[in-house]
Amino acid sequence: MAEILRVSNISKHFGGLTAVNDVSFSINEGETVGLMGPNGAGKTTLVNMICGSYPVDSGKIEFLGKNITKLPPWKRCKMGICRTYQIPRPFPELTTLASVCVSALYGKDRPNRSLEDAMTEATHYLEFVGLFGKRNVLARDLTLFEMRGLELARALATQPKLIFVDEVMAGLNPVEAEKAVRLIEHAKDQFGVTVLWIEHVMAVLMRAAERVIVLHYGEKIAEGPPKEVADNPMVIESYLGRG
Amino acid sequence: MEFEVKRERLVLRAGGGKWEWHIEPRYWRNPLIFVGALIVLPLVVYFVYPQGLPTIIEANLLAAIAIPLALMTISTGRMNFGPQFYIAIGGFTAALLSIHVHLNPGLTMIAAALGGLVFGFIMSPLSIIAGGLYYSLLTLLFPLLFLEATLIFSDLFKGDTGLSNIAPMISTGNFKLNYLFYALISLTIMLVYLFVMDKIFRSRYAIQMAAINDDEEVANSIGVNVNKVKILGFTIAATLVAVVGWFYAHYYQAFSGQVFLPLSFMLKIFMVTMLGGRTQIYGCVIGGYFIAILETVLIRTTGDMSPVLFPVILLILLLVLPEGLFGLYRKRHYREYMPTLRFRR
Repeated sequence: MAEILRVSNISKHFGGLTAVNDVSFSINEGETVGLMGPNGAGKTTLVNMICGSYPVDSGKIEFLGKNITKLPPWKRCKMGICRTYQIPRPFPELTTLASVCVSALYGKDRPNRSLEDAMTEATHYLEFVGLFGKRNVLARDLTLFEMRGLELARALATQPKLIFVDEVMAGLNPVEAEKAVRLIEHAKDQFGVTVLWIEHVMAVLMRAAERVIVLHYGEKIAEGPPKEVADNPMVIESYLGRG
Repeated sequence: MEFEVKRERLVLRAGGGKWEWHIEPRYWRNPLIFVGALIVLPLVVYFVYPQGLPTIIEANLLAAIAIPLALMTISTGRMNFGPQFYIAIGGFTAALLSIHVHLNPGLTMIAAALGGLVFGFIMSPLSIIAGGLYYSLLTLLFPLLFLEATLIFSDLFKGDTGLSNIAPMISTGNFKLNYLFYALISLTIMLVYLFVMDKIFRSRYAIQMAAINDDEEVANSIGVNVNKVKILGFTIAATLVAVVGWFYAHYYQAFSGQVFLPLSFMLKIFMVTMLGGRTQIYGCVIGGYFIAILETVLIRTTGDMSPVLFPVILLILLLVLPEGLFGLYRKRHYREYMPTLRFRR
């Protein structure tokens, strides 16, 4: 499998606080990689840096062999990087159809794309996440689970190669969480995307991820297959503390 | 000839022909009816009550300022409190070129638009650098700085009195007729702005502006070049507002910073925007006419008290109608929230 993302020694500081410190890893095409760690470990900050929301203090990010460290987020999106948010951030005043339509229009460059084409394509993604029936509902009127579905549809409509799924289970009941996990697995199969799954619910990553990276206080403390990582004493200590 | 009133339509039969007009409320939303009424209004006022023509001109110009301001607000996701800065840019450019270079109004319009374009482009990074309250305060500050500049460089801008002897746009020799032409030209400007904005707000560009308006960080992360949209929206709006400044200069044949740059003028524009319905272009027209008529009525009925009563009444109206006059309509049609996006089915 070809390497899709390579992160080399990236760091991020907020004043005196080191959020991410000298983290390096790579992701191969078609993989599902889990990124886990306790609250405040720096998972979301790391994703924000890869997506371009936060500038990188030091280090290098390469996507498909190209250095994207200094690229703005919209250019990274056009190259094939997209994300969902830990706390859903829908466009509250837009209908679900219009929200996904933005991605279909401005995500990956598709020549001669008209608004009507984008609308048609957006309905496809809405159908995939089960929101076709709510295509004319304002995004702010959706339930939390539906908002997560909308975020996934919006991300998929950009036709990404690599998608970051940020704590999709947060705030969902067990039935909804199970549905969300299945939805992401289907998305991976149907659209052939590579997934970096940020989660601190270990059970989910044990099932879904092929490889897991663990962060603690901004530093990478473990990387490997889920079973191996779950047995790692440093990971257990980071979650449960010292006995 | 036979005329018949049916439940949902009027039917006229004459000779062998038959004409029907639908009178169902949904057909009243046809923009052509709205435009037709606006064109007929100055003609009616000309014959019935010619003193009302300046009010109509003022209403058209207020709407013509508020409509590009809606574009600026949507495309940047921020409220600009200093559109009068660009009015002054357009007005002074036209006035100076008319007085000193003796350019005709056609050429001064091009120069005023260019002035607005250049200053709009220079100022546009503000919408990227500053956000929220800081952006509002900065935009509020620039007209006041310009006002100070007109006083400091009074040789050029003629300070308090302003520039006078600007060539008139219309000179038919008939005072009343001049006003009618001014009303029609101001209406044309307003309708052109309305048409252009309507086209923009129905297009694919509206959808990215809507996304920026809602959450620019998310819009950026799904491929929208936010900075480009902001700069374009800001610059285009500034250019269009500058053209209104050009109209003011040639209409009054005088242009003073003391009239257009203080906060009182900004308050009027702000109220047009808020009462019409923030970022609603059709609401801007309703707001423009409402404010212009209210101001005229207050001046004629309360005289010296009008500068006090005018803002007080507007503040009360804002409290009663927080979503503006257009908000009353919007509440019944929630899907047409800002910006209004309509797609060909």
